Amino acid sequence: MNKLALLTLLLLFTAACRPADDSWERVQAAGVLKVGLDPTYPPFEVADAAGVSGLDVDLARALAADLGVAAEFVYFGFDGLYDALATEQVDVLLSALVIAPERGKDFAFTEPYFNAGQVLIVPAGDTAIGEMADLDGRTLAVELGALGHVEATTWAKRIPDLTVRPYTTGDEALTAVLTGEADAALIDAISGRLYLKEQPQLQIVQEVTVEPFAIIVRIEDEQLLARLNTSLEDLRQSGELDDIIGKWLGD
Amino acid sequence: MKWRNSVLRIAYCVVTSFYAIRNTQYATGFRLLLIVLVISLMQPAPLLITYGPQQTVQTNHPIVGVHTRLTDEVEEWKIQRTLQMVREMGASWVVELFPWAYYHAADGGIAWEHPDMVVNHAAAQGLQVVARIGLTPDWARPPDTPLTYLDETAYDDFAEFAARFAARYRGKVTHIIIGNEPNLSYEWGYRPATAEDYVELLKVVYPAVKEANPDVVVLAGALAPTLEPAGSPWGLNDLEYLAQMYEAGAADYFDGLAVHSYGLTFPAEAEPAPDVLNFRRIELVREVMVAYGDAETNIFVTEFGWNDHPRWTMAVRPGQRIQNTLDAYRYAEENWPYVEMMALWAFRFPAPTRSFMDYYTLVTPEFVTKPIYDEIKEFTGN
Repeated sequence: MNKLALLTLLLLFTAACRPADDSWERVQAAGVLKVGLDPTYPPFEVADAAGVSGLDVDLARALAADLGVAAEFVYFGFDGLYDALATEQVDVLLSALVIAPERGKDFAFTEPYFNAGQVLIVPAGDTAIGEMADLDGRTLAVELGALGHVEATTWAKRIPDLTVRPYTTGDEALTAVLTGEADAALIDAISGRLYLKEQPQLQIVQEVTVEPFAIIVRIEDEQLLARLNTSLEDLRQSGELDDIIGKWLGD
Repeated sequence: MKWRNSVLRIAYCVVTSFYAIRNTQYATGFRLLLIVLVISLMQPAPLLITYGPQQTVQTNHPIVGVHTRLTDEVEEWKIQRTLQMVREMGASWVVELFPWAYYHAADGGIAWEHPDMVVNHAAAQGLQVVARIGLTPDWARPPDTPLTYLDETAYDDFAEFAARFAARYRGKVTHIIIGNEPNLSYEWGYRPATAEDYVELLKVVYPAVKEANPDVVVLAGALAPTLEPAGSPWGLNDLEYLAQMYEAGAADYFDGLAVHSYGLTFPAEAEPAPDVLNFRRIELVREVMVAYGDAETNIFVTEFGWNDHPRWTMAVRPGQRIQNTLDAYRYAEENWPYVEMMALWAFRFPAPTRSFMDYYTLVTPEFVTKPIYDEIKEFTGN
């Protein structure tokens, strides 16, 4: 019993030795959430004379409002984002960044807010194709050389009578579905949704791969991470997250 | 025998301990502990990997090469698989980084295990290896300096390593590049990148390497394409830097010039111009060489290519990347007799970088081929 008490005491002591996480208090005291982004990636973030706008910008503002602070945007080049966060130039990164487990030693990721992976697109109302496995004997349009093409080639090894037809651009692949030249298209979710925004005759039936976008904080900022996850869940529950995504990428 | 004695000793300890406590209150816990210990000691036998029969590269375009990234690849089967796939694609050449800092200890000992593995597997696949040597061990540079810092006090040490490397891999590593992109301050230890300093390095390393292995082709460079003007803290324009190299007497201290040439958003055949960075900048590099009377020296393009990252402003669409790459090989074969090989950056990374770098590769970390791999394979007649 004494040994157990000693062990508990030791664990408590070790925990107490960790540096205090004041990340949330810091943001709260400043009244500002500093958001790092690379504003060259429409429709997620783009800066012009009128200022910065995009899906991530709206999301950052909504999160900040939920947290009771203001969002302040700081621009960096795509390659400099993680360094900017590590050197405490910003509190978070919100810039269409994919969860990178390799960076887990230094950074923490919120729950994903968008899946940018490959999606399967078919003509609206087509009930025969609900997933990749339904493509036996069908033609699948892809963008030449893109990740959808790589994924489709992998599926073609499993589905004996699947024809993969590459097109020069993603839009051409989707147009092929529209005109009946192909039965379906496998394309990244951003390109696909942007096309569907203008062409409602097509529909997404399956998210085939996962490329999750998340908000990123420094690994020690656990309090801020927890607050962001709670706010993200609030936005999800209230439907505001869907509204923001729908505004920029279509419903 | 030592190994067998250790096992017997452990077994003896386990059995005697078990009998010693068999009737005590701790018997059950101790048995569990022993079981866990025994299970933890039971490791699967290591994979048996052999070099296999000697292979040869089948290709209609011997100019085709790739830059591999096996430096940080730990597992031998992945090294072998990578090099097999390079050969199957029809590439005759691989360029690979062999960091001095990783191998050479302060006491003079060199850990050859990993470079042996890479070089021997490449040789078994019939690939010609261009070894890029660089990155300074901490014992050979001042405290708090980066890996790329190499000053004249360590030139002899570097030359010694390069010479031992060249001698060890005679017949297997046919070309050695001294350093990397010395015209960038980042690659020169965050110091001003001066051609004179680099030429001094060549003057020390070149004779040492040639004495150790007269057959090896020593490449200078590889120069990074950049427009940085004189006095820039970032580096110096590659054309100016090359001219300054010749002015400093470099010509007698390299056998070939390594060059990097990225197409960025331009097609392969876009016209070169001094104020533009595109693939055909190689022609401007060549003009400098000819102007300094060095027309006999060949160029080795040790990095080139296009990127198809969806959000990088310097990238193209994946289909354009394929087209530009094949066009570049065709253009070089038809127009540049002085270019011996062109290595695409980069074949595969051991793990995803989750950045634009992933979109330079031909094969994913999981060895899934991208369509550009298949197109090059078809181009080489495989």
